[in-house]
Amino acid sequence: MPSPDFLALIVTLKMAALTTLILLLIGTPLAWYLAKMTSRFKVIIEAIVALPLVLPPTVLGFYLLIAFSPQHLPGQLWQQATGQQLAFSFSAIVIGSVLYSLPFVVQPLQKAFEQLGDSLLEAGAMLGAGPIDRFFTIVLPLTKASFITAASLGFAHTVGEFGVILMIGGNIPGETRVLSIALFDHVEAFDYARAHVLAISLLIGSMILLASVYLLNLPRQKSGRAS
Amino acid sequence: MPTLKLDFNLSYKVFDFSINQTLDLTGITGIFGHSGSGKSTLLRAIAGLEKNISGSIIFDNDTLINTTQKTFKKAEQRHISLAFQNSRLFPHLNVLDNLKYAAKRCTNSQLNINEILTLTELDNLTGANVGELSSGQKQRVALARALLSEPKLLLLDEPLSALDQTSKTKLLRLIIKVQQQLNLPILYVSHSLDELQQVCDNMLILSEGKVIDYGNIHHTIHQLNFLSASLPSEQLIHQQTSLSLPISNTDNGKGLMVLTLAEQEILLPRSSEELSIDQHLRCFILASDISICLSEPQNSTIVNQLSGTISTIESSEFDDSTHSVLVTVICSGQAFYVHISTYSQQKLALYINQHVYLQFKAGAVRTFLY
Repeated sequence: MPSPDFLALIVTLKMAALTTLILLLIGTPLAWYLAKMTSRFKVIIEAIVALPLVLPPTVLGFYLLIAFSPQHLPGQLWQQATGQQLAFSFSAIVIGSVLYSLPFVVQPLQKAFEQLGDSLLEAGAMLGAGPIDRFFTIVLPLTKASFITAASLGFAHTVGEFGVILMIGGNIPGETRVLSIALFDHVEAFDYARAHVLAISLLIGSMILLASVYLLNLPRQKSGRAS
Repeated sequence: MPTLKLDFNLSYKVFDFSINQTLDLTGITGIFGHSGSGKSTLLRAIAGLEKNISGSIIFDNDTLINTTQKTFKKAEQRHISLAFQNSRLFPHLNVLDNLKYAAKRCTNSQLNINEILTLTELDNLTGANVGELSSGQKQRVALARALLSEPKLLLLDEPLSALDQTSKTKLLRLIIKVQQQLNLPILYVSHSLDELQQVCDNMLILSEGKVIDYGNIHHTIHQLNFLSASLPSEQLIHQQTSLSLPISNTDNGKGLMVLTLAEQEILLPRSSEELSIDQHLRCFILASDISICLSEPQNSTIVNQLSGTISTIESSEFDDSTHSVLVTVICSGQAFYVHISTYSQQKLALYINQHVYLQFKAGAVRTFLY
């Protein structure tokens, strides 16, 4: 039987990995759309995406808790489709994390797409490359660093989540009990030794992740010269 | 011969473009106009990069766009390639990979990359990072890349604008060579009449989003001599005589080359390039470089003296302050354009059908390529 803290680590990594994957899948087209959008409604969508940056996590958690309950439509639809309650489930904390970490993925990607512009994409079209082809052969290689940054920030921010998860996930071991909540439990129980282990692990893990991102984004030494 | 039927309008906040013209796509067709005339807009529309078009574009019986029939062929499906002014090479790929990018997407590949590398003189640069190429090298790679997509029509948008004179000459020769070897119709946009005069067979002139003239290159350049007076002042061009004449002697022993104009001759400085007898040489003479004499000049250092007859004397009806006239003189069937002051015109009492002599120095006969 694994220790409760190890179980919390597994839940945290599973949640963060799944959240990051979903964020990349929905954040990429959203960021692309925002980068190319010229309508005045762009600012409204941008504001909605950025809202989690300024909103207290408990506010988002509170409204999600209400929406996920079986008394409200999203919760009802989920229950009809899966036969299980959404609130206080692993799925709920993943959905909450996706919403809460959305700006950390969308904003770096949007900025990268805006900086890339249309000129190279037009050049690709002139050589017979369709939109999907252009994305994978031009956009992705040229914005690789921004994708790494977006994924890392999304992952790290999800690992560090507390308020939203506490509101919509509760504290169910093996299901919704993540590292930040386990740490809070240890502090509440005055078990500072175990709290220290978790805190220092999260601190070092986050440092390593961010240092890796900055290392990857360092300007590359150019090699080879034109003859 | 393929044709390109253009009948569309395009509106922006500060610019309206409108065209109804059929182009015969033989050899190289120049598109001339000054900044803001709509040259690049026209190319982008043909390439499929302009979405707000109202009207139709038909290339060789293939409808690229027809807004009444709601037909729009995407840029990547048109088999038309556009080489941009700023080359737009992919920075994450080296020279060879930029070329392979085009070759891989060509559905019916006939050309060999190595042949194109040789044709565009890029054999030694295949592994080079595109960020480290000179402007001329970048444009050659862009041209090679466009060729490897094997388009049915190649569009060149000011390909020489960022180059020095030597690189311009090299690339112009390359464009002529490519066109001749691949028999590929080319639309060549430039705001430099000198470039277009050297390479184009036909020319379309645009001004403020409208077609001013279209036809044979020499004819349109000569028409421009008269049109330039009615164009906005910033669009004034150098009035000139555009010629394509056979070489009768590449070196007369005195450092001069000789061109034949029926029974008369035109002398110009010998070229360092290898030219052959009877090869036609494109050259031009600015109207301000030619003078008129009423009697045959004797004892003059000016080597070119042609006899002819005045056919027209045109003054600028839009600007009296220039105090000048454009005189057309026909010498052995060829029109020459001479820009002189009204003072000189009155002093010599020039009139239509008068027999006169033209004088110009050998150095006034200009070529861009040789």
